[in-house]
Amino acid sequence: MATPAQLGLQNATSPIMEELIAFHDHALMIIFLISSLVLYIISLMLTTKLTHTSTMNAQEIEMIWTILPAIILIMIALPSLRILYMTDEFNKPYLTLKAIGHQWYWSYEYSDYEDLAFDSYITPTYFLEPGEFRLLEVDNRTTLPMEADIRMLITSQDVLHSWAVPSLGVKTDAIPGRLNQAMLASMRPGLFYGQCSEICGSNHSFMPIVLEFIYFQDFEVWASYLYIV
Amino acid sequence: MAAVPEPDEPGKRKGSCTSLRLSYWKPFKLLGILDVENIPCARDSILYGSLGSVVAGFGHFLLTSRIRRSCDVGVGGFILVTLGCWFHCRYNYAKQKIQQRITRQGMKNKLLYEGTHLDPERKQNSRNSSN
Repeated sequence: MATPAQLGLQNATSPIMEELIAFHDHALMIIFLISSLVLYIISLMLTTKLTHTSTMNAQEIEMIWTILPAIILIMIALPSLRILYMTDEFNKPYLTLKAIGHQWYWSYEYSDYEDLAFDSYITPTYFLEPGEFRLLEVDNRTTLPMEADIRMLITSQDVLHSWAVPSLGVKTDAIPGRLNQAMLASMRPGLFYGQCSEICGSNHSFMPIVLEFIYFQDFEVWASYLYIV
Repeated sequence: MAAVPEPDEPGKRKGSCTSLRLSYWKPFKLLGILDVENIPCARDSILYGSLGSVVAGFGHFLLTSRIRRSCDVGVGGFILVTLGCWFHCRYNYAKQKIQQRITRQGMKNKLLYEGTHLDPERKQNSRNSSN
């Protein structure tokens, strides 16, 4: 999750997020160099005593400042498209989980297990235990196995919502009447927080998502425990 | 948590833990955008770029004695050297990450399969002993 006053991306939990962070660094370096060049050119323009008011054509400079940005754009577009197609790759998933957006909570259905479904409401501030995070904790966390491909089917029961978990690099719109598919894969165990990312009413900021990734065998125990309950 | 001011220092407040933590955690960003502390290869690229810029600009000045043109050469050198170091370093970093992932997976598999019929070292040893 984010630390106080954090501006950058959260640490990556999934391979896709690692790729996204690397791409972000790549684009940022290009932006930094272009900004430095522009700042330098501005300083040159402000400090020169030379003037030239009768320029008719400037073929060479026009060639340079057309071809160079085209090359830069290609350098940015190729890794971007690579990650875009990588995001849409669907390996054989171990588990399918449905996330349904409501006003103003999420419900989850584990269709691979019979009758395994629950709602996930925000924990109000006055019910928080010491050490828990305000506006991020929920009553029932979504437990998933780590190091397994998980297919998410995301939809909504009423208005538009968006299921987002930044450290996994996932943000998928929950649209009523439509099923959107996303793939999750966590490389490590732990708790990963997200929030609804599409305005959906007065309590839009109060429907968080908490994913709890645990070891495989512990997940099987958790699933069987929920059956008993 | 803010300390209560002493009676003889009415206006003076000690720094709070929160403000110190925020100032400690605030990363240094070049031009306000490039976090050179946390982005792998950024610091090295910028430093090598600066060195390349100084060498190119100063070298050009020594050869031609033209100040403005030398500054242009310096800026151009900075951009080219930074980009070159950046791509070279990131390529090696990506290769290293892949190698780390393979090694980590290999260590985990060795722990899991050691002594079982799936252990590849056991199969190899039995093949060597049969030869």
